[in-house]
Amino acid sequence: MTITPTTSDDELLRRMRSADAQAFAALYRRHQGPVYRFALLRCGSGDTAADVVQEAFMGLLTGRLAFDPLRGSLSNFLFGVARLLILKHEEPRRRESPLPDSDEDELEPALEEACPLTRVLANESAEEVRRALARLAPHYRDALILYEMHGLSYLEIATICAVDIGTVRSRLARGRAALAKALRLHALDAT
Amino acid sequence: MHDDDFPELEPRLAQLRNALAQVDAPRCVEKELMQAFASQSARARPWYRRLGLLEWSAAVACVLVCVAVVGLLSLPPRLADGFDDSPLVRIDSGGAFIALDSVERIEAEPAPRLVETEVPRTMLAALGLPVTPENAGDAVRAEMLVGAAGEPLALRLTSID
Repeated sequence: MTITPTTSDDELLRRMRSADAQAFAALYRRHQGPVYRFALLRCGSGDTAADVVQEAFMGLLTGRLAFDPLRGSLSNFLFGVARLLILKHEEPRRRESPLPDSDEDELEPALEEACPLTRVLANESAEEVRRALARLAPHYRDALILYEMHGLSYLEIATICAVDIGTVRSRLARGRAALAKALRLHALDAT
Repeated sequence: MHDDDFPELEPRLAQLRNALAQVDAPRCVEKELMQAFASQSARARPWYRRLGLLEWSAAVACVLVCVAVVGLLSLPPRLADGFDDSPLVRIDSGGAFIALDSVERIEAEPAPRLVETEVPRTMLAALGLPVTPENAGDAVRAEMLVGAAGEPLALRLTSID
């Protein structure tokens, strides 16, 4: 059977489990972009984002990550996996840095390892937004990236981040405020 | 809800969305994943799942041929000869001749004797003679050809109708 853009993820997964390499390639090509872009904005490093994508899909193909279609879409599942992998990647640094006092901590110092200040995008204005986003606290970044860049609903973000919808709503509001503030400050600095 | 709080944000976020739209994971990631998939599939698939349709067809054909050969070799010799020694039954004009031994054996018998008797029709059903509920209780007049040692060689039935 041929694979078309309308072939469902479930069908591709079923065929992938039957050792159909084309099905796996189609699944990868369908989902790698969003997962990579999420990871890139979330951690600020192209190399780390590529590692995250590779590890997420590796988990899918080895069966180490058990995806249940009844609990949501594959894309949201992959976002959740990518987020956990990034948290795991950041764990050593988080262990060394002091705990945030509360959700109010809007900005965090630039990560040396993740290099958020390394240029990622050619477009200067877009790169400015990306850098401002990279300076937000991770929990605000998660919500903002998933909502603003990937168009996910509050409920989907709540499921991916394992928080309730109210928390998503407040993180989005604070994240947007922090991002707007950071961009305003940057504009003032530039002038 | 939030979108109106910071109207200046939306165009900036749109710029970021556009700039990211064509950003994909490096090609080497796909290459490595496909290699991992190939080795994983080779490990995970048992031997019978690695066979294609053609191989399976050949295997089934081989098994069928083997079974046929073994079956033919294990048949009793008389069946393997094509059932030539099965009782010969000929029915003509209301009578029947049933050879109970081979024709050669009957012809070779030096001193055959003819014994007249009556046989219940139901006993003849096993020899292929017609039996109906109406005539099942009848007896059929029979002439039995026996050898010198008394072994039955053939049976001739009269008035089986």
